[in-house]
Amino acid sequence: MNATHNVAYVLVAIAGLTIVTIVTRSSFFMLPARINLPQRVERALRYAPACALTAIVVPKIFVPNDQLFFSVQNNQMWAALAAAAVFAKTRNMMVMMAVGMAVFTVLRLYA
Amino acid sequence: MTTPGIAIAAWGVVTGVAMVKVGMSVPLALLMTIVVFAGSAQLAVLPLLVSGAPLPIVWVTALLVNLRFVIFAAAMRTYFSQLTWKQRLFAGYLNGDVGFALFLMRFGGTPERGTTFQWGYFFGTATVNWMSWQLASIAGILLGGLAPTAWGLELAAVLALISVVVPMLNRVPVLLGVVVTAVLSVATIHIPLKLGLVISVLAGVIAAVVVEPRRVDAPTDVQRAA
Repeated sequence: MNATHNVAYVLVAIAGLTIVTIVTRSSFFMLPARINLPQRVERALRYAPACALTAIVVPKIFVPNDQLFFSVQNNQMWAALAAAAVFAKTRNMMVMMAVGMAVFTVLRLYA
Repeated sequence: MTTPGIAIAAWGVVTGVAMVKVGMSVPLALLMTIVVFAGSAQLAVLPLLVSGAPLPIVWVTALLVNLRFVIFAAAMRTYFSQLTWKQRLFAGYLNGDVGFALFLMRFGGTPERGTTFQWGYFFGTATVNWMSWQLASIAGILLGGLAPTAWGLELAAVLALISVVVPMLNRVPVLLGVVVTAVLSVATIHIPLKLGLVISVLAGVIAAVVVEPRRVDAPTDVQRAA
């Protein structure tokens, strides 16, 4: 039985999830302006974007299907490395996507 | 379309397809993506919804996946402190990963906070990002069954996000932070409720701070990348 067919259950879940989005994203925005965070903390937070995006992307590559897959046979890893190297050099997104997908496809078919 | 637009759209399609692939009906999937507007949280709770997990578990899982947004809000609050509380609430709702990264790359080291230009930039990019997300995830939901095999889409989404991260990696502290985060994000994958995500982000940020130069007014790495 797939519980997503229970409309009331999903609707209540969605309502709660929407509140979770608003509460987490707005959290510190709602703090009164006169309250300041320590300067060291403010500076530290500038590293958050790169780290947060990394924490989303890296497990997608190395933990497909909930299984650690750290191996030379991980085609996604080679595709990602090739694409990152190409993007660092060219800053061209279309080229990097094409290279990444091509590396993945070639390895999948021939390696 | 711009690089961030493509990155967001790729994740939108992946999320939309994932929702209908697990068997959620099209109207519910549309409602979910339009109002919840948080791809990683949506993907994380999908298996829980399928199995009919208790709602508090569903919500707490989403909360933990979204804890990074609390860090984002702390990083950006001084730019918005002069707005009314309704405007701040709305700005927060729109503040996703990619938009946040772009904003701080651009304004991370500016001494003036909360200029009209910054608000315009934020609400402008946020609107475009919101539309990219919605159009792409709606397309994913409607085309769900017809979409190309999942691996191609997911890989495209991963590559698109990599292109957002790479320009930031030009100095030692941020590079170290990213390496620490990368290792921990994989090492902590079996910690329940996706807690590993926020642990690895915090550890990465701390690692970056520990090795950064001490001068208080030095421009940051993130800024130089802009």
